[in-house]
Amino acid sequence: MDLRDSSPSSTPNRDGNAGDDDGVLSVTSALAKDAALYFQSRKFAECVDVLNQLNSKKENDPKVLHNIAIAEFFRDGCSDPKKLLEVLNNVKKRSEELALASGEQVESGSNIGNNITSGSKGSGTTTSLPASNCASIIYADEFVSSVASLNIAVIWFYLHEYAKALSVLEHVYQNIEPIDETTALHICLLLLDVLLACRDASKSADVLNYMEKAFGVGNVSQGENGNTASQQSLNVVGKSSSDPNSSLISDVSCSDLAASVNASESPLSRTLSEDPLDEMFSTLDIGGQNLARHTGLTSANDLPRITVDRSISGVDLKLKLQLYKVRLLLLTRNVKLAKREVKHAMNIARGRDSSMALFLKAQLEYARGNHRKAIKLLMASSNRTDAAMSSMFNNNLGCIYYQLGKYHTSAVFFSKALSNCSSLQKEKPLKLLTFSQDKSLLITYNCGLQYLACGKPLLAAHCFQKASLVFYKRPLMWLRLAECCLMAVEKGLVKGSWAPSDRSEVRVSVIGKGRWRRLLIENGTTRNRHVDSVERDVWALGDDGQPKLSLPLARQCLYNALHLLNCSELSNSKSILPSDSSLEENELSDGASSKNSNYKNLPSNDSKASTMPAALINLNGDLKEPKGGTNQEGIQTFISYYEDICRRENQMIKQALLANLAYVELELENPLKALSAARALLELPGCSRIYVFLGHVYLAEALCLLNKPKEAAEHLSIYLSGESNIELPFGLEDCEQWRVKKHIDCEEANVGAAAAKNSSPEGLEDFMFLKPDEARGTLYANLAAVSAIQGDLERAHHFVTQALSLVPDSSEATMTAIYVDLMLGKSQEAVSKLKHCSHVRFLPSNQQFNKSS
Amino acid sequence: MGKKMLNFEEQCKIVNLLKSSSEQKSIEETLTEFFTNPKLRHFNVCYSLSLLLQDKMMLSSTERLVAFAILHRSYSSQKSAANPFISFLVNAACDEGAENYERAFILHLLGFGNSNSSKEFLKQSASEYIKKFDPSSQTFPQKEQLQKQYLEKAHPEPYACLLKSTAVKNVLADPDVPPGCDANSAEFDLEPGAKSKLGSGDRDEALSGLIANLSLEGLIPHWIRPLPPRFPVDEELVWLNPDNNHELQWDQGMCADTSRGAAVRDLIAKALRGPLAPNQQEQVLMELANDPKLVYHCGLTPRKLPELVESNPLIAVDVLIKLINSPEIAEYFTVLVNMDMSLHSMEVVNRLTTAVELPKEFVRTYITNCISSCENIKDKYMQNRLVRLVCVFLQSLIRNRIIDVKDLFIEVQAFCIEFSRIREAAGLFRLLKTLE
Repeated sequence: MDLRDSSPSSTPNRDGNAGDDDGVLSVTSALAKDAALYFQSRKFAECVDVLNQLNSKKENDPKVLHNIAIAEFFRDGCSDPKKLLEVLNNVKKRSEELALASGEQVESGSNIGNNITSGSKGSGTTTSLPASNCASIIYADEFVSSVASLNIAVIWFYLHEYAKALSVLEHVYQNIEPIDETTALHICLLLLDVLLACRDASKSADVLNYMEKAFGVGNVSQGENGNTASQQSLNVVGKSSSDPNSSLISDVSCSDLAASVNASESPLSRTLSEDPLDEMFSTLDIGGQNLARHTGLTSANDLPRITVDRSISGVDLKLKLQLYKVRLLLLTRNVKLAKREVKHAMNIARGRDSSMALFLKAQLEYARGNHRKAIKLLMASSNRTDAAMSSMFNNNLGCIYYQLGKYHTSAVFFSKALSNCSSLQKEKPLKLLTFSQDKSLLITYNCGLQYLACGKPLLAAHCFQKASLVFYKRPLMWLRLAECCLMAVEKGLVKGSWAPSDRSEVRVSVIGKGRWRRLLIENGTTRNRHVDSVERDVWALGDDGQPKLSLPLARQCLYNALHLLNCSELSNSKSILPSDSSLEENELSDGASSKNSNYKNLPSNDSKASTMPAALINLNGDLKEPKGGTNQEGIQTFISYYEDICRRENQMIKQALLANLAYVELELENPLKALSAARALLELPGCSRIYVFLGHVYLAEALCLLNKPKEAAEHLSIYLSGESNIELPFGLEDCEQWRVKKHIDCEEANVGAAAAKNSSPEGLEDFMFLKPDEARGTLYANLAAVSAIQGDLERAHHFVTQALSLVPDSSEATMTAIYVDLMLGKSQEAVSKLKHCSHVRFLPSNQQFNKSS
Repeated sequence: MGKKMLNFEEQCKIVNLLKSSSEQKSIEETLTEFFTNPKLRHFNVCYSLSLLLQDKMMLSSTERLVAFAILHRSYSSQKSAANPFISFLVNAACDEGAENYERAFILHLLGFGNSNSSKEFLKQSASEYIKKFDPSSQTFPQKEQLQKQYLEKAHPEPYACLLKSTAVKNVLADPDVPPGCDANSAEFDLEPGAKSKLGSGDRDEALSGLIANLSLEGLIPHWIRPLPPRFPVDEELVWLNPDNNHELQWDQGMCADTSRGAAVRDLIAKALRGPLAPNQQEQVLMELANDPKLVYHCGLTPRKLPELVESNPLIAVDVLIKLINSPEIAEYFTVLVNMDMSLHSMEVVNRLTTAVELPKEFVRTYITNCISSCENIKDKYMQNRLVRLVCVFLQSLIRNRIIDVKDLFIEVQAFCIEFSRIREAAGLFRLLKTLE
């Protein structure tokens, strides 16, 4: 917050100190000035005192109340942002009420004529003050407190409530033109941060684009921008403020024009000269205005904000915008462009605090898989005495090691990052920034992923549940929580679920001895895996205060995720529809293009459409960027490219959600619900082959449980080629995504290749799914089961034999084989299969017979 | 562990029952004694017995008779078709491999043949029944006949899961005897007092073990249900970057002097009512130029624009140029295009076209309005004046390439022809021709 009292002379700000006009400083404005000075020099207690005096003079003036709230907040050590929020919201509400009231008054007042000094409600108490007659006229827009809105958004931002911050800011941004430069700049910068945090690439690009134009930092990559800005502003000033002569005709902004007026003294002007105004038309009949118009056009359309009271120097602003641009490019995964822009940012940042630039560069290398380089850059940047910085540093290292498959190392860094955070919280005095620097919830999310990768579902779930305060709107978070539940059930960590060994084992009780020996296969029917399915309260808390992991909880999480995903799809299609209709409107109406969107300088819809094919061609991110980096088309191209990525990611998430849901419903013995989930999965466009396979398997099982073995068999038979041969349901290439990516740094490719080969990563278990052949065996086994149920024992026998050759360890296939043998009356073979199966555990019966097989 | 079918009490009950069958107690007596316990779960008991009966060797002949009697008696109060084990009994009665006395006993139980048969045969003990059995006295009906008599009236099977209803018995015989020996031979029975030898075992032990471990669930085909893979972690890890600092802002508008703005507002209000004096006009333009935001606060609204255009077109032009980025500019344009045609409005539009890029539709509509105004005006003198103005205006627009003539060619040409008597219209016409 800069209040440069030295500058007002050069800043003819409407809101500035206008005492020199009157020659008399009103009491209130003197007090206001004092308060501002105290605030500026961070003497908040004194500042509050002065403000209170002011408040007694101007009771309930929202702006005074606003500043009191701000000053008190700082005086009290930024301890209670929520309270400040409350006060500011009240201030804002009060301002809006006053604005409404005075708006009405102004409307009516203008009819009365000059009698506009009647004063509005807000200034009622100022009548005793000198010079208030005129000065206290407050118009509607005076009340619209953009500063209060900005501050509200700042607090939400620091509390990581980006959606709330966004809704406040978007409202202000829609009408940003009338807002004074300083506030407008702060609004735009904050809006950019919020939009990037919300990962809204398209709007970020709009705002960035607007800022480059409005704050004269356009074409950042073309040298020193200060010059261009001042030139542009000169144009504007030159045009609009050229001294109007007494004669109206000569109000021409361009001397060329004036000259040509004289030169082309046309007969028309003489004939029409009865009316002096007609003379104007003499200026019409001339050529050579193109030039004038062009300069006028650029300057007026791009109307740069003449940054009168800039709290940020030109180069700083330039660096800032450049870094935003890099962040936007990283968000949209435009690695190539990001690389160029980050280099440029590093150039601008020379000699300044460049930690942000270095972190971004490290992120870039991380995104490119150059992990070693990323580590180097982080090392170079980190000012590790600062807790906030070191928490980020450690977190990022954790990310890198995770990607390298070294989960345990990454765990160490994540927990370091967390302890940095907790030491940050203890720091005194509190700063507002501290709230946002507390990234512990974000780091906790990373921890959750890491625990999940290490096979620790309970710890992982704990992390995700904590992080859900920030991540609750992300479908992926809910999917992860569901995965924790499934893993916990799978590992037998949930009360009542089978221990992992029990799940895959066939337990056989051996009863009697000698000729009387009998084998009793214990878990004869489907293992009753689900637990507490009767428990109504899915969110029942365990002893540790955390919801107990269970299959019903998994189901709830999956539904949450699906709901969120559908909502975002809906809102996406919503945001597309109006813009389409506005396109038509644009053609029909008077073409008020600025009305189409809340976002300034939005590339018009048709340009968006025209860049779409280009974006599709350039899917590999190989953008042919024209010089200058970010012309509109380029931005549109990479944004639609990014939107495409997001769409595909959401599709993938949806596939995973439905597959998990079908699985969970089967586990919970709800075949009907499993059926619909599996159907929905198979209906998804562009479903990956792995999920198609799962969809068919789950669907077939659900059908089977619903006594429709014939339909079930049909679903499995799509993989049949010929009578009895099953094809691979998917190939190794389909599993690629699930593999641990062992990035070899490009630079190290030659050296590191050998080393990478024999270094076995910790995360071999990371690929947790069936190999294609095992999937094939699964299909065989399930076809065998279906055939057996249908009574086609011969076919069942064939399939189960195939299955056992592919998945010899599968207890399910063994059991089906035994079943088929028994049905065929081959009990001897059944017994020998049982004895040869590696997953059978023979238990002595309860009576203590000392017998083992 | 699977669910046990029998509780301990029931297990004891069954073991005792089977033991007592070899005694010289009448079957009736045994049955009555067995059913004295009201807490007995009939189905579980019967199901266990049926499983034991399926194992041909496990139960002795007398035990089997008693077990069959229990299966029948448990549900004897209802119609025979309601007995869940009726088909089991019927099948046993027709089993060619079974002993004839057993089959005859089941037929007796079912009351086959002699409908008024007394339950006399139950008055004897099981061993007596076997001893006294006369194979010639009994004829064995066909299975179909029995099924017709006892099963036909059976209710359609209630809903049951196919997967489970296809279950088979999950007990397998696995006699542990030396190779080559007959497992059924009694030589492997454990003789009391004798030294146990390889392959020998105690039947009672095995029996009670089975009874204790039997479960309701049979063996069914198993389905492989693969666990879905964990979703790949791609861009999901959160990378952290240093924050930009956003400070809370002081509202500098607090108690600010608004007199300067007020002066302009005052002048603008005046400008709506009539032309301003040159120095006033100069002041407005200068102040607007000095403070780029002032234009938003000068008190002008779209509704008031026509007055300003008529009274002070130059100020209107200046204000509109400054408002070009305002969200309200479209509204201003709408008002401008719809206001009455006049020299001043034309002047304003013309100046705007040279300063900023106007929406194409706006210019088009404006020209159309100009032309129709010319056509509709009644006063000849005024019409001449207006036509000449429009012509000059259009020429200017065309020369400055503000409009594309093609868009309006027909309209403008018709206009020129209609007013060809006016010199300027003829000039415009010539201009159009050169562009053709």
